[in-house]
Amino acid sequence: MNAVHCQQIEKSFGSGETEVKVLRGVDFTAHQGEMTFLVGPSGCGKTTLISIIAGLLGSDSGRVDLFGESIASLSPREQILFRRRHLGFVFQQYNLLPSLTAAENAAVPLFAAGMGRKAAVAKATDLLEKLGIGHRADAPPRLLSGGQQQRVALARALVHEPRLIICDEPTAALDHKSGESVMELLSSSALHPERAVVVVTHDNRVFHFAHRIAHMDDGVITHTESPVTTHS
Amino acid sequence: MIALAIQMLRHDGAKFLTMVLAVALAAFLTQNQASFLVAFLGMTGSQIRDVREADLWVMESDTECFDQAKPLKESAVQTVRGFEGVDWALPMLKLDTHARTESGKLSTITLIGVSEDSRVGEPRMRQGEAAAIYQRDSAVIDPGGMALLYPGEEFRPGMKIRIHDEWLELRGVSEASPPFTGFPIVHVSHATAMRLNRAESRSTTFVVGRLRPDADAIEVTRRIHEATGWKALTRQEFEAASWKFYSDQGVPNLFYITIAVGLIVGISFTGQTFLMFVKENARAFTTLKVLGFTHPQLALMMTAQATLVVLLGLSIGTAMVVATTEMAKSLPFFRGLYLPWQVSLACCAVIGGVTVLTAGLSFRQVLQLKPAEVFRS
Repeated sequence: MNAVHCQQIEKSFGSGETEVKVLRGVDFTAHQGEMTFLVGPSGCGKTTLISIIAGLLGSDSGRVDLFGESIASLSPREQILFRRRHLGFVFQQYNLLPSLTAAENAAVPLFAAGMGRKAAVAKATDLLEKLGIGHRADAPPRLLSGGQQQRVALARALVHEPRLIICDEPTAALDHKSGESVMELLSSSALHPERAVVVVTHDNRVFHFAHRIAHMDDGVITHTESPVTTHS
Repeated sequence: MIALAIQMLRHDGAKFLTMVLAVALAAFLTQNQASFLVAFLGMTGSQIRDVREADLWVMESDTECFDQAKPLKESAVQTVRGFEGVDWALPMLKLDTHARTESGKLSTITLIGVSEDSRVGEPRMRQGEAAAIYQRDSAVIDPGGMALLYPGEEFRPGMKIRIHDEWLELRGVSEASPPFTGFPIVHVSHATAMRLNRAESRSTTFVVGRLRPDADAIEVTRRIHEATGWKALTRQEFEAASWKFYSDQGVPNLFYITIAVGLIVGISFTGQTFLMFVKENARAFTTLKVLGFTHPQLALMMTAQATLVVLLGLSIGTAMVVATTEMAKSLPFFRGLYLPWQVSLACCAVIGGVTVLTAGLSFRQVLQLKPAEVFRS
């Protein structure tokens, strides 16, 4: 089943002479059980596209279906609840809350869903153990390395068992070794027959983790390829 | 979720402290000044309340407050006694004069003559017996008077004050309520007061009395006024008139200014700091939005943060007011100070309400955050 299905997405910013057409009829599909990379040069519209897929931004035209459901047909509140339940995010700058511990940060989606603090932190701590940083569960983000922070962010994206994980340049702020390690974890922990992972990146050192790579340029998907991958 | 909000707030210790101290400052200034104002204006009725047995006060028609006592005709007492509804009536002589101690210390004083026959208006005593004032050339003085005329000295029998050319022996220290004027209150017998009354030939400044239980106070005072032209007031009315007289002189204005400054400074500091806190945590709030926090959930978090700031600030500010009031009360002239719970409640409600409102205004910033901005590095 298609996890993400975008048809003819168009999006512009500004108006009149200052109007910039960022997406020019994008068709994009991501399948469950696969890791789909969205690659292309800076400014080609990758971030705008994932913002629209995540329901964080509206499109000017076209249609986005997530697991067969049109995002645009949901009310703003329903979109938030859908995002809370079905989507996980990994950001380039981690976006961890500096006031919380690693375990609390990982538990934030559970807090949003109304789970009790103790149970949420326990579940997040279990996940951090699986991701190899259980020993830093009580540490605040400022005491963690970049790689460790991204693992916490990965735990936060997984803790509520979403069906779609959107990663925006997850390795951009990391050295090669840490980036490789995070991608391995993403590949081994996030992939699931019911789940899709969309990764925006221009780090070609990690392309081998992709099941499918959609190349984007100047607001359109130019071509999609299925490289030989190294993951199982 | 509330714990999450509190953790965010505590993490930014400097802003948290600034907001708490700003609310504390506002709470301190407003409660301190409001309680001083209420206490000082309350003192305008001190000597009226001290005549506990009387609920009817008759005076010259243009008398505006207790401190403005003017002589009444000698026959006034008999006249008042003649009105239906009046149970009893007695003369009261109140003089403003000067007293000098043996060491030469001089002060304006309020002299009150108490009727020997009825002992109505006799003061409660801190040291000595009130009945001693009925002995010849005897008086009792209030703690404020002791502090002013005998600074640093404890009361001891045999102390004397001179009024005009006559020496009176001090027989004790009264518990007279502190007067608004700050002058020492000296109680003597009515006979002694008459003897010391050099300025006026009359022996009565007020007629104090009691209404019969079944009497209509409004009706009786109206009849007295219509028949005599004098002002006849119940105790509550006279207290209110004295309060109003001093209020109309502009006494409260300075207090109002300080209260306003306290409110403006405290609340604007808190509001501004809260706004900065929200702006500096914009990325965190945006991330929370993206991760599925709804606006009501974020509003609850910010309300929890504002409530914690308000509760801590109000607690610290109120504790400071209580401490300073207790310290001030130990000084004789400030012994009438107190923090009325109504004043405290009103100040806290205003500060708390406005602070939460400013937090609400800061929430508008959160509402305007665009979730898609979360992808910007």
